[in-house]
Amino acid sequence: MRTTVASEYSAEVHHVPIEHRFNPYSDNGGTVLGIAGEDFAVLAGDTRQVEGYSIHTRYQPKVFDVGDDIIMTANGFAADGVALIDRFRNQLKWYKFDHGGKKLNIKSAARYIQHLLYGKRFFPYYVHTIIAGLDEDGKGAVYSYDPVGSYEREQCRAGGAAASLIMPFLDNQVNFKNQYEPGTDGKKKKDLRYLKLEEVLELVRDAFSSATERHIYVGDGLELLIVTKEGVRTEYYPLKRD
Amino acid sequence: MSDPSSINGGSALAMVGKECIAIACDLRLGNQSLGLSNNFEKLFQFGDKTFLGLTGLATDVLTLSETFRFKNNLYELREERSIEPSTLANLVSSTLYEKRFGPYFVGPIVAGLNSKTNEPFICGFDSIGCIDFAKDFIVSGTASDQLYGMCESLYEPGLEPEDLFETISQALLNAVDRDALSGWGAVVYLVTKDKVTKRVLRTRQD
Amino acid sequence: MNHDPFHWGRPNQETYGTYNYNIAQASNQQHESQLDDFPKMHTQQPIITGTSVVSLKFKDGIIIAADNLGSYGSLLRFNNLERLIKVGDETVVGISGDISDLQQLERILAQLEIEEEIYDSDGGHKLRAPHVHEYLSKILYNRRSKMDPLWNAVIVGGFNEDGTPFLKYVDLLGVTYGSSTLATGFGSHLAVPLLRQLIPNDIDYTKVEEEDARKVLENCMRVLFYRDARAADKYSLVTIKSQTSESGSKQITFNHEKELKVENQSWKFAKDISGYGSKQL
Repeated sequence: MRTTVASEYSAEVHHVPIEHRFNPYSDNGGTVLGIAGEDFAVLAGDTRQVEGYSIHTRYQPKVFDVGDDIIMTANGFAADGVALIDRFRNQLKWYKFDHGGKKLNIKSAARYIQHLLYGKRFFPYYVHTIIAGLDEDGKGAVYSYDPVGSYEREQCRAGGAAASLIMPFLDNQVNFKNQYEPGTDGKKKKDLRYLKLEEVLELVRDAFSSATERHIYVGDGLELLIVTKEGVRTEYYPLKRD
Repeated sequence: MSDPSSINGGSALAMVGKECIAIACDLRLGNQSLGLSNNFEKLFQFGDKTFLGLTGLATDVLTLSETFRFKNNLYELREERSIEPSTLANLVSSTLYEKRFGPYFVGPIVAGLNSKTNEPFICGFDSIGCIDFAKDFIVSGTASDQLYGMCESLYEPGLEPEDLFETISQALLNAVDRDALSGWGAVVYLVTKDKVTKRVLRTRQD
Repeated sequence: MNHDPFHWGRPNQETYGTYNYNIAQASNQQHESQLDDFPKMHTQQPIITGTSVVSLKFKDGIIIAADNLGSYGSLLRFNNLERLIKVGDETVVGISGDISDLQQLERILAQLEIEEEIYDSDGGHKLRAPHVHEYLSKILYNRRSKMDPLWNAVIVGGFNEDGTPFLKYVDLLGVTYGSSTLATGFGSHLAVPLLRQLIPNDIDYTKVEEEDARKVLENCMRVLFYRDARAADKYSLVTIKSQTSESGSKQITFNHEKELKVENQSWKFAKDISGYGSKQL
């Protein structure tokens, strides 16, 4: 068989022809973050959408209020993210038609999304999915998924391009990991407590401005959705655009 | 993961404070996911107040640490004084660039105080010797993403020595806890104008 | 265990004999009638292509431009293609990429228009840009999911329900985004920076006059002609405006200009370029 030289730059020799095939995925960057409080939950995402080194738009929202006081994001390959969220919205609508407008609780929504994702196990939605809302007891809830539907309820989770930058910060500042009571010689861990909404918002903004500083796929704007018993509200903060 | 710089794992970090610097690293040595040693320090002292951190392929870490010990000994014999941090930085850079087309798979960092002025100095390098002069902090190793996230959010300029120690420790500990290839113990060196303090940190052992 | 994924969850061969493909709707064995057939072909690459589409919003509408060239690799195959398609009364679709797929989209959009007219006999609904964009994005995403994409990048321009300008993109992967300044292909590298100079923040389009928007767009077409080897200096331009008349009612005008030429070309810079051709330094 004819050998193919990939390019003059590399001397790599392939013994089979290089296969050139349509790639159905792309990476559209962005990063997202969810934190649950005692009686609220927030889900935040930056508003930049990229492909390669091009910034396609500086404002394309990717965190959505999908109804029944559930907020949702699917970060990674943008087209799959939109498709997944659209499918969930649609199913929620049919759930309401079929059950006399009954409210879908977040636990059931979470399980349903697992099935949406696993349904495409062999051609996955290339996204890191996070949903947030309030559970049956009115406590904040965040559920996060891998691309094929493994999921878990958590206190907080970062996803997307800068997840590796933000997640250890959250461990430290939300779950107080590696923090001890002063004067106990590292014998007593700092007690866990629920953070106030103002504290959480402060953490989210710090996390995103730090990620913006060091990650080229993150920036332009930060859009935050907050669920409380009053409903869903949105806040926006600018981020650096470089 | 046949990338040579992430076979053995390990991370290091340096920070500048007010008239002081701190440099820290984890203690893990592994073979891919298998942990081999929890006593593999990646920091090496040169003179009184200068440190070199070496992360990456363990064999290159050992080779280079010996190379620099040798070069430093010759330097001290010829100059009859200890090496300045900025001089060590240039020595590291030129030594790495000698192997431009067959590099050592390391991510070195240098931190120290100038012997006369006590001015803090830190810098980092890529594997072929490009120097990154930073004013605030330098990260390196398999947990570098996590370290960037931690440092960018915890660090502030002009910290007093004890506050700098707390900051660098929290940054390192929380970063390596999110990296499977780093951890298994950590050490921090705190360098002020008249003393060097070494502290071993208690960490998660998984 | 047999580690070949095709054998996961199937009866053990040693115990139960070879697997019977006729049970359990096993699909990975080809149907007998298909065995001799020529393999089903999917689009693997574009053939005849159109280059960038460039567009922006302004105070009372949108402007969009695309040249009339169809390239066959480096051959200038066609020189009078129209790549800006009117859909409904107040929507334009600008298409770059494969031309045969462009024509397929043209047919799909014509069909959409017909169906809209038939099923909306009382005129209670109006086919607007957001609907056209949503529809196109679903078509493109479904085709990419079949691994048989329509090889295009598309910009849809028009108005929202509330009368504000609408401008959104969708490509062969089904990736969508909106912005006040949009371009496909080479235009996203060469034209978008020029457009963003006029509209630095997305909302700033509200301060932009039509003349200024047009001037910048003409300049974009010039820059693209200079530096994009697959671009031509003959192009079409669509302006859609919403103006309030004296009586207070909104009037929408759709202006499709054809056979425009890139004006004020200057090739003075060419003499300073050296080192690429046969000329010795």
